[in-house]
Amino acid sequence: MENKLVITPSPHIRTPETTKAIMMDVLIALFPVVVVAVLLFGYQALVTMVVAVLAAMITEAVVLRKKDLISDGSAAVTGLLLAMTLPATVPWWMPAIGSVVAIILGKQMFGGLGNNAFNPALVGRAVLVVSWATHMAGDVWPVPKPFSPFADVVTAATPLEKEGAELLEVPLMDMFLGNIGGSLGETSALALLIGGFWLFFRGHIDWRVPGCFFATVFLMGAIFGGGIYENLVLTGVFHLLAGGVMIGALFMATDMVTSPVTGLGKVIFGVGCGLITMIIRLWGNYPEGVMFAILLMNAVTPIIDRFTVPRKFGEVKE
Amino acid sequence: MSAYIQDIRRGILDENPVFRLLLGLCPVLGVTGFAMNGLGMGLAATMVLICSNVVISIFRNFIPKTIRVPIFIVVIASFVTMVDMLLAAFQPELHDQLGVFVPLIVVNCMILGRAEAFASKKPIARSFTDGLGIGLGFTVALVALAAFREILGHGTVFDIDITGAAFDPMGVMALPPGAFLALGILLYGVNLLFRKLGIE
Amino acid sequence: MGFEEIMAIIFIYIFVENLVLNQFLGICPFVGVSRKMETAIGMSMAVLFVMTVAILVTWLIYNYLLEPFNLQFLEIVSFILVIASLVQLVEIMMRKISPALYQGLGIFLPLITTNCAIMGAALLAVTQEGFPFLTSIVFAIASAVGFAIALILMAAIRERMELVDLPRGISNSVVTMVTAGLLSLAFMGFEGVVTL
Repeated sequence: MENKLVITPSPHIRTPETTKAIMMDVLIALFPVVVVAVLLFGYQALVTMVVAVLAAMITEAVVLRKKDLISDGSAAVTGLLLAMTLPATVPWWMPAIGSVVAIILGKQMFGGLGNNAFNPALVGRAVLVVSWATHMAGDVWPVPKPFSPFADVVTAATPLEKEGAELLEVPLMDMFLGNIGGSLGETSALALLIGGFWLFFRGHIDWRVPGCFFATVFLMGAIFGGGIYENLVLTGVFHLLAGGVMIGALFMATDMVTSPVTGLGKVIFGVGCGLITMIIRLWGNYPEGVMFAILLMNAVTPIIDRFTVPRKFGEVKE
Repeated sequence: MSAYIQDIRRGILDENPVFRLLLGLCPVLGVTGFAMNGLGMGLAATMVLICSNVVISIFRNFIPKTIRVPIFIVVIASFVTMVDMLLAAFQPELHDQLGVFVPLIVVNCMILGRAEAFASKKPIARSFTDGLGIGLGFTVALVALAAFREILGHGTVFDIDITGAAFDPMGVMALPPGAFLALGILLYGVNLLFRKLGIE
Repeated sequence: MGFEEIMAIIFIYIFVENLVLNQFLGICPFVGVSRKMETAIGMSMAVLFVMTVAILVTWLIYNYLLEPFNLQFLEIVSFILVIASLVQLVEIMMRKISPALYQGLGIFLPLITTNCAIMGAALLAVTQEGFPFLTSIVFAIASAVGFAIALILMAAIRERMELVDLPRGISNSVVTMVTAGLLSLAFMGFEGVVTL
């Protein structure tokens, strides 16, 4: 007999905000970035994104034994976010495998949406980075050729992978608009900010996580960044615009399942992410630390939640 | 006769130390990068297990109850030392590959557990087959996991290239995270398999 | 030994060469004790204490007893006996001095004997790397802290998973292994941050 007694924890609130609606908003928010990616990197960007999204949706449908490919849209979002972290030149099977790993090991194995401990897209990316490092780092990033969808691809390193004098040649405005090498989603800060504001405006993300993430990255970049540009402030800005900080802070770290629930918790989370990102960037072997930082903070989230529970009304402090 | 066969079957299937009892996991994760290492470790541990089981069984009526655990430990440790030295002498590359996990056989809970639960109470022949069964189960698990990781992580198995140049190996399987992930995947497979076979 | 070296060792053995997530030592307690936060914390403290004292004693034994008399082959037997006796001693002391603490931690102590964390760390520090005395102590504390961090992170995640309905075929151990793998993956980010 079907269990008629449903026990769920409070709050018992009804809201029109369904998972599907939220996911749709996220996809809308990513739309500017998608457009920019295709404009800058051509048809290969499109292929990568389509493969990732399809693979994610098919995997979830197979695992859940559902005929419905779209379902609540979360698989599509995972796939798209994963694609955004990959270079356009990546062989087609990588986003496919990445999506499969993301959905199975990052999400469904834990019992589905809402129970996963780690950000699924980043799980997929981490496995890809560690497994096929040669395709993911170094000279694989295509130099953008705006508005030439079928141009031959020339590859080079990202700004974060360059050092010293080479670095000074990258104009900050290019980094803001997106005219630099990088993964599909990390080049255009402008497009990402537009998407971020949309999500904020729709009430899906809290200002604290990205805010503290940005602040920490900026401060550490300015103080420890090695004075890339003579101006400390510009160095800080560089670190904000370079690599995956923009997309990570706005779209990955804000994932409500894998980040803390409480306000103070979100602040800690944001600061932690920024801190670890910069530590890895400045002193570690990997050129970019956003992915590891967010995964690590995901792991710490249950502990943060435990310790930042606000005092209940009437509770006596021991 | 059937009791002996049962012992062996039990060690490999129902009470497989790795897949069912989740004992002795340190070497399972630590040496399964290559199938050859998994095999070597499995056989080494089996040797120690059989020897210690037999010896403890021989003296089971003479070992005082109160200090039995330290005595078991000394017996096991002596055999581990012997195996360690034999490996270093006759199979130096394997010995280097297995590294600290050979001495760690001494703390492998399945050996001490077997001594306590079985060898100290059962006759010699049974202790022998029990040790053989559990040891084989351990070895089978190790080789399975190691082969999985080696094929995906290097494209080879037992150092034989079976996938050819077109296969771009999945680096993570050769690294620590891959060990955990691979074991998790295998455990899932074993869960499903055992359910099909009707073992619970 | 310089301050920088001490800091480097601490960082490396907590984050880069984590006992559990990287060197595969102490997996049994890691899997067995990480279901609840209290047990995780209890085990961590017990390990910290035993690890430090054990490495101290085994270092002395190896360098002043075994090596000078060419008895290195006795290292396995002597180390494990030292660890086992140490644990017995700690158990007896704890029962006398603080019965409350014994109630909480007591059952973990025997588990520490037959677990590769202490034995493995001791072998690593004393015979394999051959650290000098002070370095070994720092190594012991750092390794134990690394173990504790891994254990506590795992416990927090597992406690959250307690209420979840897992898919068919996915047992608790499967989830634990995959989670450990993802933790290990995340920790890989620290590679190269500090070098000796």
